[in-house]
Amino acid sequence: MTRLPLGGAPGADGVPNAPVHTRDASVRGADSAAVALVAQLRQRLRRVVYVRAAIIGVATACALAVVLLLAARQWPGSSALSRPVVLLIPIAAGIALALVQSRRAGLVTPLRTALWIEEQTPAGFSLVTLVENTESAEHDFATGDARRLDPRARERLAVAFLDAVGGSARVEAQVDVAARALSRDRLRDPAAFGAIAMALLTWLILVPLTPAGIAGDSTRSGMPPDHTGTSAAVAPIGAWTVRVEPPAYSRLPMQQLGNADEVHALAGSRVIVLGAGAPVAGSVRVLGDASSAVLSAGGGAAAVDLGLSPPTSRAVVSVTADGWRAPLTVAPLPTELRLSRGGATRLLLVDGYRDSIPRVALRLPERDSVLRSATGRLALQATIHDDLGLASGSFELIVSSGEGERFTARTVRIATTRYTGARDVMLRGVLDLDSMQLGPGDIVHLRAVARDANPARDRESGVSETRSLRVARPAEYDSVAVEPAPPPEVDKSLLSQRMLLMLTEKLEQRRPRLARDVLQSESRNLARDQARLRLAVGDAVFQRLSGESSAEHAHTVGDGHDHGVESVGGKLAMPGGVSATGMLEEGDDSPVIGINTPLLEAYNAMWDAGRALELSDTKGAIPHMRVALAAIERARAASRLYLRGMPPVVILDLDKIRLAGKDTGATNVRSMRAAVLPRSKVREARLLAAASMARTDAPAARDSVAVLRVESLGDAPGFASALVEVIERLRAGGDATEAFVRARRVLGGMSRANDAAWSRVGPP
Amino acid sequence: MSREPFVFATAQYDSGDWDSAPMVPANVIDAIARYTSIPVRPQGVTVPLASEVIFGYPLLFLTGHLPVRFTDKEAEVLREYLRRGGMLFVDDHNHDVDGAFNKTVREEIRRVAGALAPLPNSHELYRAYFVFENGPPTTSHEMNGWGDNLVHEQLDAVLFESRIAVLFSTKDYSSEWSYHPDNKRFLSVDNTKFAVNIVVYALTR
Repeated sequence: MTRLPLGGAPGADGVPNAPVHTRDASVRGADSAAVALVAQLRQRLRRVVYVRAAIIGVATACALAVVLLLAARQWPGSSALSRPVVLLIPIAAGIALALVQSRRAGLVTPLRTALWIEEQTPAGFSLVTLVENTESAEHDFATGDARRLDPRARERLAVAFLDAVGGSARVEAQVDVAARALSRDRLRDPAAFGAIAMALLTWLILVPLTPAGIAGDSTRSGMPPDHTGTSAAVAPIGAWTVRVEPPAYSRLPMQQLGNADEVHALAGSRVIVLGAGAPVAGSVRVLGDASSAVLSAGGGAAAVDLGLSPPTSRAVVSVTADGWRAPLTVAPLPTELRLSRGGATRLLLVDGYRDSIPRVALRLPERDSVLRSATGRLALQATIHDDLGLASGSFELIVSSGEGERFTARTVRIATTRYTGARDVMLRGVLDLDSMQLGPGDIVHLRAVARDANPARDRESGVSETRSLRVARPAEYDSVAVEPAPPPEVDKSLLSQRMLLMLTEKLEQRRPRLARDVLQSESRNLARDQARLRLAVGDAVFQRLSGESSAEHAHTVGDGHDHGVESVGGKLAMPGGVSATGMLEEGDDSPVIGINTPLLEAYNAMWDAGRALELSDTKGAIPHMRVALAAIERARAASRLYLRGMPPVVILDLDKIRLAGKDTGATNVRSMRAAVLPRSKVREARLLAAASMARTDAPAARDSVAVLRVESLGDAPGFASALVEVIERLRAGGDATEAFVRARRVLGGMSRANDAAWSRVGPP
Repeated sequence: MSREPFVFATAQYDSGDWDSAPMVPANVIDAIARYTSIPVRPQGVTVPLASEVIFGYPLLFLTGHLPVRFTDKEAEVLREYLRRGGMLFVDDHNHDVDGAFNKTVREEIRRVAGALAPLPNSHELYRAYFVFENGPPTTSHEMNGWGDNLVHEQLDAVLFESRIAVLFSTKDYSSEWSYHPDNKRFLSVDNTKFAVNIVVYALTR
């Protein structure tokens, strides 16, 4: 700050002391000093306003330039964001705002300046009064040429001001400090804003040039300074070289595809496009998807976030010593990489495909099973295929135990095998059922699981279908070997065994009246029907035992064709199960035998019956036929499937639940009920009947009255006591009429006082 | 105008004990008849999950104790069923988050429809008919410490465009609702009301 020319000598503390002057000299000097102080401070404040306006203008221009540059990068092809626009608009806006701000300098008037001084150094408004009473012209005030007050009055005001503030030097120092603080306050925020805006602008301008030492490479390779690719001097984009680098886990070789336009690559691979000349600009877009990203000219990166794993499609353009390089990370979807330079554009279509999860098929065991006891070893086998290479495979077992509301489960992996890139393998293992310690009702869910070498954290494993092995409970042994199957087609031409038996019995009855040739003919017909039925039974036996459809077929001994049943003299027999009578013995309680024993028995009995019928021995055939019929009945009963209990079927009555039944609300016609006779009427009738009886059968009448008395003791004691007299009269054999009349009156509620008429008093 | 009655369908899958809660259908039907005017068939049906017959039923109920492994056909049909707008209600009869059913069926659901996520207790399901301010009603089984000894605060679900495609419960409604509907008169509060919300939601969303 310019030192004011007036003031006393500096004191020890550096603050000027009060001026030492004579009265006249001091009067003249005080006026000038006050005026000069106001004028110089006013100029200083105006400079602060101008500087602040300039800073605000520059900061605004920088901030606007940052916004426009970002917009230009977002929409590079937009003509509204061309370079002149990006340059001129911020400059114009900054200048305009600075001019507007600078107009505030006019607000710094001498009076306001004096007020501000008195605010810092109160002096009873002597300085304000001095300034207020000067002539209005600003320059006149500054030079002190114009005076409106009397000079003596002005001098007194100036002296009063200087005296109040301790002299001109002191006030000058205080005002200087306050003015510095004011400057800092007014300029700090705009300056900070401007610095930030300028830093952002610098960063935006410099960043595209900084990565990968582009500036240095560019210098060494003589790269043209125009990196936008829009200059007419830059050659159009030409041939390129495409290289595919699959991910390491896939073990696939790197491919050099030359000047290719299409690439078929595994997701996660890097497709690197190499070209010569100036760098290119371009974009990445996933076909069939709105996702896209733009590559900035001359460098930068672009990524399309697909929300998928493995990674999003990502490309980076960088400048190399020989030209440019654009590596693209392949997404598992078709992607388009569009690169442009010199007004020409080329497309590279990248067909990304996923790494498929392993395909697993469980070969052994072939089907779900129910085991009677969990012992022994079970061979496990699964085939696994993967498109790139397997990492591991195993069998997964979930063993669940319990029933009702209590279940436990444990998971076990067995036969875990590591692979190093094999694509087709056969996984083998052995399930030791003894070591599993399975109990009745336990279920083993078995499947094969395989994983490929894809290192993604959320990579799925390939799994096979699941087989279940259940250990039967003892209560269900009768059903463990029964596999539900639809009933076989019924041969309608077959006569049932019961019908054959009835026909044979009828023929036997007619036999004495038939000629021999007729008997033979009809008996042989029955024999043929019996044979057909026998074959049908045989088929059933063989289907259940061996799956073969015919009981009678040729085979040789030892040919390995064993179906568990031997043919002995036309009959069928199970080895070791035939009794001395030719019948199969009961006792082997295995499920298969339990079901098929009756059928074998029926088969053999039919064979005997058929042989007898062939000989026209109808009488001899009938017992065999009855045996066959009984055996078939037993077989049918044994074949019933006793599976788990079916849940009760509940069929709800919706009308009842919704209270919407058939009741119409109208009741039936009610009939009058017969009035119940009063007890006294009944007793009166019984009393009259006894009275009638007394004439003819006095003992009977006496008994009736006695019963009536006993019954009346509880509720009609008066009537009961009146009956005592009746009974005594009847017992004495005299006339009891009077006693009956009295008893009836008592029953009817009639009483008579002494020497008075009878009157009704109410029920007894 | 004739309206097809709602038919409560229980999903029959190849693995596990799909019929472990035989009384639930009757109880749900009873609740629907008791509280709503929705035409309802008086008896539920059992539909194989591998059959396209399931496309005829807007709501499928699936429960069990044992591990669940959908066959390829079951997964394919179920995936298409959910895509067409069907709703699958899965209940863990073990009420045990560490149980075999819970673990396996979650895997299968993820394979078919996507990962299950907690359903907020403010979801419209809880206001579809009756209002359940605190989310799904607790069951006596979880209150009594069965299974995992937890009271599960909320259900899980897979949403298809904000619609519940799969509703997953570990609260064991299979046990809670598995009693003869005639015995409902012994309850002071009918515990099957939440089933009405599920059915109404499945029919209207």
